[in-house]
Amino acid sequence: MTLISNLINGISLGSVYAIIALGYTMVYGIAKMLNFAHGDVIMVGAYISYLSTTALNVPPLLSVLIAMVVCTVLGVVIEGLAYRPLRKASSLAVLITAIGVSYFLQNAALLIWGSAPKSFSSIVPFDSISLFGGDLIITSEAIVTVITCIVIMILLNLFTKKGKMGKAMRAVSEDKDAAQLMGINTNFTISMTFAIGSALAAVAGVLLCSAYPTLTPTTGSMPGIKAFTAAVFGGIGSIPGAMLGGILLGVIEIFATSYISSQLSDAILFAILIIVLLVKPTGLLGKAVKEKV
Amino acid sequence: MLKVNDINVYYGNIHALKDISLEVHTDEIVALIGANGAGKSTTLKTISGLMRTKTGSITLMGEDITHTDAHKLVSKGLAHVPEGRRIFLQMTVLENLEMGAYTQPGYVKEGIKDIFERFPRLKHRKNQIAGTLSGGEQQMLAMGRALMSKPKLLMLDEPSMGLAPILVQQIFDIIKELHAAGTTILLVEQNAEMALRIADRAYVLESGRITISGTGKELAQSDSIKKAYLGG
Repeated sequence: MTLISNLINGISLGSVYAIIALGYTMVYGIAKMLNFAHGDVIMVGAYISYLSTTALNVPPLLSVLIAMVVCTVLGVVIEGLAYRPLRKASSLAVLITAIGVSYFLQNAALLIWGSAPKSFSSIVPFDSISLFGGDLIITSEAIVTVITCIVIMILLNLFTKKGKMGKAMRAVSEDKDAAQLMGINTNFTISMTFAIGSALAAVAGVLLCSAYPTLTPTTGSMPGIKAFTAAVFGGIGSIPGAMLGGILLGVIEIFATSYISSQLSDAILFAILIIVLLVKPTGLLGKAVKEKV
Repeated sequence: MLKVNDINVYYGNIHALKDISLEVHTDEIVALIGANGAGKSTTLKTISGLMRTKTGSITLMGEDITHTDAHKLVSKGLAHVPEGRRIFLQMTVLENLEMGAYTQPGYVKEGIKDIFERFPRLKHRKNQIAGTLSGGEQQMLAMGRALMSKPKLLMLDEPSMGLAPILVQQIFDIIKELHAAGTTILLVEQNAEMALRIADRAYVLESGRITISGTGKELAQSDSIKKAYLGG
């Protein structure tokens, strides 16, 4: 039973990583940059949800929507102010800027909300499920997280395969100049990608803090880095890759924690990442693009 | 239709286009010929807004487009088939055509039908990933995709590049058909012989400057052109 219970916890944690990884991978696919501030957008989303439920007495579900709206705006503003002016700059300059934005968000949160941890109360209103006479307990958070992740994956897949904006995003991700020659506004498309990624980050933040209820200004940083790892693990730029990478990462982390050592779990995680990248440098589902001439 | 007036374009410190002026009148085929690196592609990129000129002006159908964003020019009737085709290799043939009609959402169905009539080979491959097409098919897709925006002025950059002679002939036949159907064409070519044969007028570019211009016939018979571009 512990095995199944660990597996469920792993998939649940992995689903959160997957939702965060989607933001990394979409932005990377389209803007060809690593948005290291993405993890901190998660933290902002969690704070907004926390504050709207505690200070404004907003119902939990509405607080998630508010967090999504705030994070969407935040993502678009970050892109417009920090990254857009660097569109033609070297990728190193953009990377350093992203790290700067990450610190800015953490310190702004520290200034506004203080360093004392907030205790986040779960937004999931129903009780955990107890099976086999209490041998196996599935938390309601785990169920909601996994379902949310599946729904997001299906919607995103439909959006990029069938939607006009989604197709435009794929076109921009493949060839910016050619996309412009089709009449696609690439700046707008990149903004939309940040908007979607940041809205997802808000959802991830709320789900993460519902399962692990301590909220501080650095809450988003470690899950952000792990989700980035998940995106690389699955093949950066690939949406199914981010999902697969996220879930695998969550399962590996929980298994390593419970069967090997909780202190070593992160080290084991990254060791596996290194091995995967040595064997398959493009990640699990990433493919090297071959051009036929 | 198109008027380019004294443009000067730089890549960093390199002065790529020097005082280029040219004109394309409605219903003409105008060819821009010249050696590798003469600035032919740069000229097209500057017209379509992918690159910027430091001086001078560009007008399209009387409207100043010197500083207009590339994506806004498509709905004004300008289509640019870039060098190397630049189709979306990971998207299907149909999706590529849909992207071509991005500014003409109402035209997608009719346009695709039109394109498949003109390029029957694309119809057989419509659900295939564009990266798996042959070179000739990719060129047809690139042209079809550009036509999906219902252009008034079509700019083609080296449509014959890398194609077998029989395909080159086909592509040029298609250009003539498009022209007969009322599309104005600005054609950049290294295959000067073919280009001059179908062009009403032509310009010769040499290291960023226009050195000679005239009707297609005049240039095809000029001795210096024969020597430099027509192999004798």
